[in-house]
Amino acid sequence: MTNANASGTRGLMHEEPLLFERAHRNAEAIALPGIADDTADATLADFLRRTPAGIPGLSEPEVVRHFVRLSQWNHGIETGFYPLGSCTMKYNPRVHEHLVRLPGLADVHPEQPEDTVQGLLALLYRLQQALGEISGLPHVTLQPAAGAHGELTGIMMIRAWHDSRGDHQRRIVLVPDSAHGTNPASAALAGMRTVELKSAANGQIDLDELSAKLSDEVAALMLTNPNTTGHFESRIADICARVHEAGALVYGDGANLNALVGKARPGDMGIDCLHINVHKTFSTPHGGGGPGAGPVAVNDTLAPFLPVPRIEARDGHFVIVREDEHSIGPVFGALGQVGVLLRALAYIMAFGREHLHRIAEDAVLNANYILHRLKDAYHVPFPGLCKHECLLTDKLQNRHGIKTLDIAKRLIDLGFHPMTVYFPLIVHGAMLIEPTESESKQTIDAFCDAMLEIAESCAKGDIEALQQAPMLPIRTRLDETSAARRPRLVWKDDRN
Amino acid sequence: MRFLPHTDEDRRQMLETIGVSSVDALFADIPERFHLQPGSLKLPPAASEAAIVRSFRQAAEANRHAGNTRCFLGGGTYHHFIPAAIDYVILRGEFLTAYTPYQPEISQGTLQALFEFQTMIARLTGMDVANASMYDAATATAEAALMARRITRRDKVLLAGSVNPRYRAVTRNYLSRLDGDCDILATPPFTTDAEALAQHIDARTACVIVQYPDFYGTVYSLAPLRAACDTHGALLVVCFSDATAFGLIEAPGAMGADIVVGSGQALGIPMGFGGPHIGLFACRQRFVRQMPGRVCGMTEDRHGKRGFVLTLSTREQHIRREKATSNICSNQGLMCTANACYLALLGDAGLREVAARSHAALARLVQSLPAGVQAAAGPRYHETVLSFADQQARERFLTAARAADIFAGIPLEHLEPGLPARHLLVATTEMIEQADVDEYLALLEQYA
Amino acid sequence: MTIPADLKYTKEHEWVRIDGDTATIGITDHAQEALGDIVFVELPEVGRQLSPGEAFAVVESVKAVSDVYAPVGGEVIEVNNLLESEPEKVNTDAYGEGWIAKVRMNGDTVELLDEATYTTYLEE
Repeated sequence: MTNANASGTRGLMHEEPLLFERAHRNAEAIALPGIADDTADATLADFLRRTPAGIPGLSEPEVVRHFVRLSQWNHGIETGFYPLGSCTMKYNPRVHEHLVRLPGLADVHPEQPEDTVQGLLALLYRLQQALGEISGLPHVTLQPAAGAHGELTGIMMIRAWHDSRGDHQRRIVLVPDSAHGTNPASAALAGMRTVELKSAANGQIDLDELSAKLSDEVAALMLTNPNTTGHFESRIADICARVHEAGALVYGDGANLNALVGKARPGDMGIDCLHINVHKTFSTPHGGGGPGAGPVAVNDTLAPFLPVPRIEARDGHFVIVREDEHSIGPVFGALGQVGVLLRALAYIMAFGREHLHRIAEDAVLNANYILHRLKDAYHVPFPGLCKHECLLTDKLQNRHGIKTLDIAKRLIDLGFHPMTVYFPLIVHGAMLIEPTESESKQTIDAFCDAMLEIAESCAKGDIEALQQAPMLPIRTRLDETSAARRPRLVWKDDRN
Repeated sequence: MRFLPHTDEDRRQMLETIGVSSVDALFADIPERFHLQPGSLKLPPAASEAAIVRSFRQAAEANRHAGNTRCFLGGGTYHHFIPAAIDYVILRGEFLTAYTPYQPEISQGTLQALFEFQTMIARLTGMDVANASMYDAATATAEAALMARRITRRDKVLLAGSVNPRYRAVTRNYLSRLDGDCDILATPPFTTDAEALAQHIDARTACVIVQYPDFYGTVYSLAPLRAACDTHGALLVVCFSDATAFGLIEAPGAMGADIVVGSGQALGIPMGFGGPHIGLFACRQRFVRQMPGRVCGMTEDRHGKRGFVLTLSTREQHIRREKATSNICSNQGLMCTANACYLALLGDAGLREVAARSHAALARLVQSLPAGVQAAAGPRYHETVLSFADQQARERFLTAARAADIFAGIPLEHLEPGLPARHLLVATTEMIEQADVDEYLALLEQYA
Repeated sequence: MTIPADLKYTKEHEWVRIDGDTATIGITDHAQEALGDIVFVELPEVGRQLSPGEAFAVVESVKAVSDVYAPVGGEVIEVNNLLESEPEKVNTDAYGEGWIAKVRMNGDTVELLDEATYTTYLEE
């Protein structure tokens, strides 16, 4: 029954060679505008490239067909359910693509005079204001290019604040063992030392462990709430109070903001600084890995340290502030990933103050619904309410020789993108499922049916299809070991 | 709400399955005092699609843009021609709305495109390998400095003063919280003296970072720097801001660069007020395990068919955590596909033509300057500095140019505070026609 | 899983073969099995001085990284360059061709376990 949603037949699936393997005819070069005058090259005579790079020049029909065929080997939100935990794969409204391609937004140079980009600055300023309001942290930088970049920016600000108070010894960042890997990596890049906090048995912050690790060398706690097990840290106020009492600040990893948006605000709970993954909560497309954007919102304490450049409103017009005494300076070559940020603004505008909370409500409803449909068939390591994602493990399936990886790969044959697997690291065989608000009950039911079918096959010892999976896509399981042992990262025409 | 599929009946049934009476019960784990009243946030009211489009269109129409002006602005972002097919390709939902290709069997499209991108960038820069992108050229430059420190286990970074000030500022910022030095080396006005820079390289130097062509468009030989790096065991890091350059001039890899970073914006990506662009990152094969960022590799599936996977993941944050080569996770994935599509549409011949035309426009401009305006001397690729007698002359010209719908250049003191306000950084591309050059020159003649 | 009787072991799952003042070091069968397919071994530089317990090499599988700690102090006198091209030797021959480094010992060591004690340690 669930096969009705499967990945289709191979009837129209084509093999597609690499561009470099196509007949290398150097098809007639594309017709270009501008000034054709080869005599100008003479001024560069000593520096001209001696051998061409080896980029195959193909005709437009060949190029378009090549990439369209490649696209057909991909799963995207628009092709199916994509329940990757921690990734918030929601629908990306098509109108956003139209908006950011308006010439007055797309064909604008970053060094144009300010008075010629007032419309664009107004939109970005509205986004700054909206993100400040939604997070409860009123001061916002749009500069960070991604979530991890926002983490780096936030920790740099926290460090600058401590330094401004003469607390130069505060160089430790506490990171729970359940945290995203970017947290410790970002802290290290900001010149900080990370100390890991061991989670309590329920996957949450262990308050005793926290108190024991706090000291006058601690600069910050990095906290994800809801945490990466999908649970809300209900003692958030206590956690923040302990950190503040110890003279440190709380950094919020906003990766899971989709559970809270419009319902509650991190700033109200005592978080000092929060990055917002607009490519998660505010629905900018992931693009096969990026671009994203990671604006950072802070309270009054950290406001003086925000990066430059940033946008300010002055007497009815907008200015780009490029110097500021206490600023940590620039972390990116421009004002931010503008096109990405504009899409986020459009998403917020569509929901508006009346409907914004419904994002979190439906996302949380969907996750709890999945949890309840699957809780008897799969082991639930931390029972209770979940927020926007739910966590299962392969414990019940292990006894039949089936692991999380097999379950994930079998889902592909049943027509779904797998959930996030083997994360968080503190749970063995983790499967983290995040449905988002974009999915219908019908789709979610079909996914649950597929998961139950897999569990049932396991229970019956009918495991061959799981071990062989996936069988339907154009490629079966790939050999990642030899790829890493003898890396082949570029095509070589003569030997591969 | 058009983005939410559930009916109230769906919600009722789902709540019943869960066994709670209301959606609010699902938020009972959040302390009551933190609950917001629906509608209490100070946000604009919900807008229809039509209203959002109208609002964005109004904002867009308030801006000047390259479509209704002639754009002589550069400094790291360039107005090149973008074939329409690129946008069509990256708007394919399967590329646009996919996540990072962690499940390779159903991500071969993204992965093969990345492999092709990596190959093209390696070839274009003359390097062995390239990664699957960084955020932008500025952060890529900073990451290159960090990588050189890891490889050499030295902590002194030399940064030429003729590197784009934005790249310099970000690189210095990244390094300032770590032990070690980041020295900015002065260069002569509006050019790079490689011989003089080479004198600063010593046994403590992790790397020297130069831009080629430099921020002012200067094209020069990297040979003295390569030789000094060899003598002292330092690395040569070369950054660039317009990748079309290497369709015409020698690639940095052919002149001995160890790490090459830069912007891929010129390769089919709109200016977009500075982002999203893409940072390119290429290096020698022997350094690949110290490289930051994701990388795609070729392998085989169970049936022996060729396929692609993300590889060398142990360098990355999700495995190595605080010891990772970088904290980067999201990159500029979609822009890799845009770059690959652009390069495939142009090929070696087309790319050379783009570069030659970009350069020809500047050559035409510079050779006919009026007496009161000087262009910086020496070989330049499509970008140079024009110097006016004084600020008044420059402002007269800029004002007149704007009135004629010409963005005539970037006042250099905007990027390099402290410089006298009489210089203009000017760039040309194949989008500049002879008539535009003629008009620019006529305005100079009249107002400068 | 094998645990040869003629070697010494550490609690971090390194093995060491002592021959005069030379110690040959690798990771145990248990360690390689826990890591899975080894794809890369980062070798120390010859001439490097090691203190007992110091991380001196790195063993990587596709999705895991593990430091290798020096069971003994001394100078690295030889490394197994074969692992650069065939890291899988750590999997297929952990106690033989999969050795990592040879160290001229200076006398300092971490707590070294004999076969029986290591076997018991693993069982715990």
